[in-house]
Amino acid sequence: MMKHMRLNVVFLFVFVTGFMPVIGGLANASGLADRVIEHKLANGLTLLMVERHQTPVVSINMTFGVGGVNEQVGQTGLAHLYEHMAFKGTRTVGTKNYEKERPILEELSRVGTELEERQRGLARRTTDGPASPEETAAIEALQKRFTALQEQAAQFVMGNEIALLYQRHGGIGLNASTGKDLTRYMISLPSNRLLLWAALESDRMANPVLREFYKERGVVMEERRLRNDDSANGLLFETFTSAAFRAHPYGIPTIGWESDILSLTPAEAEAFFKTYYGPGRATIAIVGDINPKEVIALIERTFGTIPAAPPPPQIVTVEPPQRGERRVEVEFDAEPSVAIGYHKPALGHADDYVFDVIDAVLSDGLTSRLYTKLVREKRLAASIGSDANYPGVRAPNLFILTATPLAPHTTAEVEAAIYEELERLKTNPVSAKELEKVINNLDADLVRALRSNGGLASQLALFQTVAGDWRYALKARDKIAAVKPADIQRVATQYFTKSNRTVAVLVKKQPDRKVAAVSGNEVTR
Amino acid sequence: MNSSKREALRVSRRGIILGAIVMLLLVPVLDASAGDMALGDPRQMKFKPVEFTPPDADRVVLENGMVVYLLEDHELPLISLSATVRTGGWLDPTDKVGLAALTGSVMRTGGGGGLSSEQVDEELEQVAASLNIAIGRQSGTTSLDVLAKDFKKGLAILAGLIRRPAFEPARLELAKLQAIEGIRRRQDSPGSVVSREFVKVLYGPDHPTARESTIESITRITRDDVAAFHQRTIHPNGIILGVTGDFDKQAMLASLRDAFGDWKKGEVPELRIADAPEPIGGRRTIRFINKETSQTHLRVGHLSIKENDPDYVALAIANDILGGSSFRSRLFNDVRTRRGLAYSVGSRLNAGVHDQGVWLMRAETKLPSTQEVIERFVANMERMRTEPVTNAELEEAKEAYVNSFVFSFASPSAIVNRLVELEYDGLPKDFLQQLRERVVKLTKEEILAAAKKHWYPDRLTIVAVGMGEALPKVLSSFGDAKEIKLAPES
Repeated sequence: MMKHMRLNVVFLFVFVTGFMPVIGGLANASGLADRVIEHKLANGLTLLMVERHQTPVVSINMTFGVGGVNEQVGQTGLAHLYEHMAFKGTRTVGTKNYEKERPILEELSRVGTELEERQRGLARRTTDGPASPEETAAIEALQKRFTALQEQAAQFVMGNEIALLYQRHGGIGLNASTGKDLTRYMISLPSNRLLLWAALESDRMANPVLREFYKERGVVMEERRLRNDDSANGLLFETFTSAAFRAHPYGIPTIGWESDILSLTPAEAEAFFKTYYGPGRATIAIVGDINPKEVIALIERTFGTIPAAPPPPQIVTVEPPQRGERRVEVEFDAEPSVAIGYHKPALGHADDYVFDVIDAVLSDGLTSRLYTKLVREKRLAASIGSDANYPGVRAPNLFILTATPLAPHTTAEVEAAIYEELERLKTNPVSAKELEKVINNLDADLVRALRSNGGLASQLALFQTVAGDWRYALKARDKIAAVKPADIQRVATQYFTKSNRTVAVLVKKQPDRKVAAVSGNEVTR
Repeated sequence: MNSSKREALRVSRRGIILGAIVMLLLVPVLDASAGDMALGDPRQMKFKPVEFTPPDADRVVLENGMVVYLLEDHELPLISLSATVRTGGWLDPTDKVGLAALTGSVMRTGGGGGLSSEQVDEELEQVAASLNIAIGRQSGTTSLDVLAKDFKKGLAILAGLIRRPAFEPARLELAKLQAIEGIRRRQDSPGSVVSREFVKVLYGPDHPTARESTIESITRITRDDVAAFHQRTIHPNGIILGVTGDFDKQAMLASLRDAFGDWKKGEVPELRIADAPEPIGGRRTIRFINKETSQTHLRVGHLSIKENDPDYVALAIANDILGGSSFRSRLFNDVRTRRGLAYSVGSRLNAGVHDQGVWLMRAETKLPSTQEVIERFVANMERMRTEPVTNAELEEAKEAYVNSFVFSFASPSAIVNRLVELEYDGLPKDFLQQLRERVVKLTKEEILAAAKKHWYPDRLTIVAVGMGEALPKVLSSFGDAKEIKLAPES
C-alpha cells in the first residue's frame, strides 16, 4: 500500500528515520476534507493548514517539488547536497559579518573549483609521464591558498545557527530529506514560536549562503559510505535501481555517485537553488495549535515578498519500454537477498490504484499471500515485502518485491515461488474477503494518520506536491475501493511479465583483506 | 535497550530555561540591509514561556494486582492499549538464551484463548487491528491499536493470547527458524556488529545485558520450555497497563475486568541484574573487528551511572553539550560541521535503571580520518573534564530542555505510556517534572564535577569495525589493540 511507499530518501541527519507516507489519516470519516484551509500566495507558494488545539505545539512541513530527478549528468547528488547546504544559514544567520565573509567565500569557490579541475586533469594523464614541475607547483600553490581561505572563512561562521535557534526555542524533529521527486524540511515547535520559523525559513528561501561547502561535501561522502557502500541493502538497491532505469533519472542514486559528489562545486549548488527553489514549487503544511488568519498574514508578510521564479526546465526523458529481463548481482559480505521490479505507470494512472491493491494483497500483514505461502507454509523466506511506488511517484516507476531466503533455501527458490504467486493473480480472481480487508485497513490507516501533527502535515504537503492536490489521498481511497478482481487479473497479466522485469541478487562474498580505497582528492580536504 | 534507557536518552536530548535570556554567543547584526527580515532578527526574538497543563490519567489497581492507567481522548474513533509485563531475557537459562524472546514471539503468533493462530491473524487483520507481544531483556510489552468499534474483539484476542497462549508447534518451529536466520545474518551490517561487540566488551559476553542467543541455544528450546516460561513469569500482578482513546472510563474498566479480572495472582519474578565487574586498574580496552567496509565504525565509551544517581541530571546535560544534542553539541560541530569527517556523530548517556548504564561516543568515518576522529573524541571529553562549559552552552541546553518539555506530553498515549514506564522502573510519576526543576537550577560547576567524576579517558573502551592492516596500527596509538574474530554463524 501507499503506506509502504518508499520514497527512497536521504536525510540531513541520521537520527530520525524516514516517515513513510500513509494515505490513511485522511479519512472522510474524520472530516478532514472540511478541516484543511488552503491559501495560495501571488508568487505561487501553497499554504495548507489544519487546526488542532489539544496541545500548544505545531508541526510544519515545507516541501519543494525538486529532487534527484532534476540533476544533470556529472552532477548527481546535487539536490541532496543542496539540502544539506540549506542549513548553513543566510546573510544574517550563521555569520558574524556577511559583508566581510562574502569575498572570501567567492574566492574560495573559484580557487576550489580550479584546484579540483587541475587535480582531475592530472589524474586523467595516462601516457605523458609525470606532471610538469610547473603544473605540480601550480596545484601546490592552489592547495595552499585553498587551505588558507578555508581557515579565513571559518572565522566568520556561526556553526549550525539555524538549528541552534530552533533548539533553544524548543524545536524538535528538525530534519530534511531528499527524494527522487521532492525535498522536504520539517520541524515541530511550541505554537507561540511560529514567528521564529517564518523569519528563518523565509530568509533561507530568499537569501541562502552556501558556507562550509567543501566540509559538508565530506559529510555527504561519509553519508554515502554509511548508507550505500557499507550497507548490503543500500548497495543492492542502488544497483537494482540503476539497472531498471537506463534512461530516466530515477535510475541515479539520490545520494549521488562518489565521483560526482566529489566534483560538485559551490557555483553548481547556487545555480541549482536559483533554478529549482522558487516559491511556486513550495508547499507549506502547518498542523497544530494555530490561528489560520494570523498564519496567512504572517506568511504573506514574509514568504509573500519573495519574487516568483520562472518555471524550471522540464524533464523530457521517458524510460523506453523494457525489452527483456535484466539480471544483476551484487557481491557483498552479507547473507543473500533479492529484489525484483516491474515497470508500471505513475501516480494518477488508473492502473496505479490496482497496484496499490495488489501490494496489500501480496504483502500487507501476516495473512497476506506472500507471507502465508513463502514464509509460513513453504518456509522458503525469512522475510518478504512489496512496494507499489518505487523509487518515486511522479514518473512511471516500479512495483517491487524483496525477500530474504531462509537458509538453506536460495534466492532462486524464493524467486520461483514469488513468480508462482504473481501467476496466480493472473489466473484466479482475488476473493471479496481479501478486497474488504484492503479497504478496512486503508480506512483505519486514514484515521490513524490524523493522530500526529507532523504526520498529517507531511501527507498534506506530499500529495499537494506530487499530485498537485492534497485531496488526492481521499480520491485515491475511493478509486482503490472500486478496484475489481478482473482489474487485478488484467493488470497482473499486462505488467508481471519476464521481459518487463529487473532482478538484483545479493551474493555472499567472503571478505578479502585489501585496503579500503579513498579517492586522492578527498584526503586533502 | 530497555524502555527506561530510552526515557533517559530523551531526557538528555531536551533542554532549557524559562526566564533566562542570554545572548552571549550571538553577535548583534551590524548590517541592517542584509536579508529580508520583515520580522526582525530571529536571533533577538523572545517569546512567552509555554504554558500547558497536561491532562492527568487515572490509576486503578484491579483486585488481582494488575495496574491500569486510563485517559479518555475523544478526538478520533480509536483506542490504544499498551502494557509492560515483568518478565524478560534476564531470566533466560544460560544454555537457552533466547527463551524469553521466543516465548513472546510465539505468544503473538501461536494462537490462544481458544482461537487458532490463523483465526487470530484473520480476525485482527480483517478489522485493521494491530496487536503486538514481545519480550525484551528487561521487560515484556504488549499493545493493541484498534478502531473503537472493534475494541472488545481486540481485547478478547489479546487477553486470550496473554493468558492462554496455545504455542502451536508449527508456529514455534517457524519462530525458531526465523530466530536462527536472524543469527546467521547478525554479522551482515557493520553498525550492528560494532554495537553488539561494544556492549559485550563492556558487560562481558555472559552478562544478561550483553549475552546473545546462538543457533545451539535456540535449537535446544522446546515447546515445554516456552509454555513453562510463560506459566512461571507472566502474572496479572506483574502487568502495568495503559489505555487511551475514545472510551468511557467506567465502561473501559468493566471491559478490562471482564478480560482479566478472573486471572489469579502469581509470583512475579524479581528484576535484579548483577553489576558487571569494573575493568581492573586504569586501562583502556581496545578491540577491532576485520570486515570489508569503506568506513571505520566506531564506539568509544564505558559503563556509566544509573538514572537514580544524584549526578544523573548534571551528567545528562554534560552529555547533551558534549555530543547528545545533535547540531548544538561540540562533537557534531567539531567532527561533522568543521572537519567534515562523519555524517552521524555524537554521544549518548543511556543511564541504566535495572543495570549499569552506558555512556558512549560514536561515529563512522573513512579509514584515513579514523585517528583524527578518535583524537577529537578524547580531546572533547578531556575538555569537558577540565574546563567549565560556557555560559552560552549551559543556557542553550537549559532553554532547549524547558522549551521542548511540552512535547513530552504531546499526546494522551505519550502521557500514559510514560506513567507505565516510570512505574515499571520504580520511579516517581513526576520524575520528568523533577528533572526539569533540577535542570533549571543546574550550574556549570555541577556539570564540570559530574564530568570529572563519571568520565574516565584512561579507562575508555574503543571498539572499531573496519578493514585492512592500517586499522590496528591507528588504534594502537591509543593503547594495546586486540582483534575480535567473529565466529562464522552458519
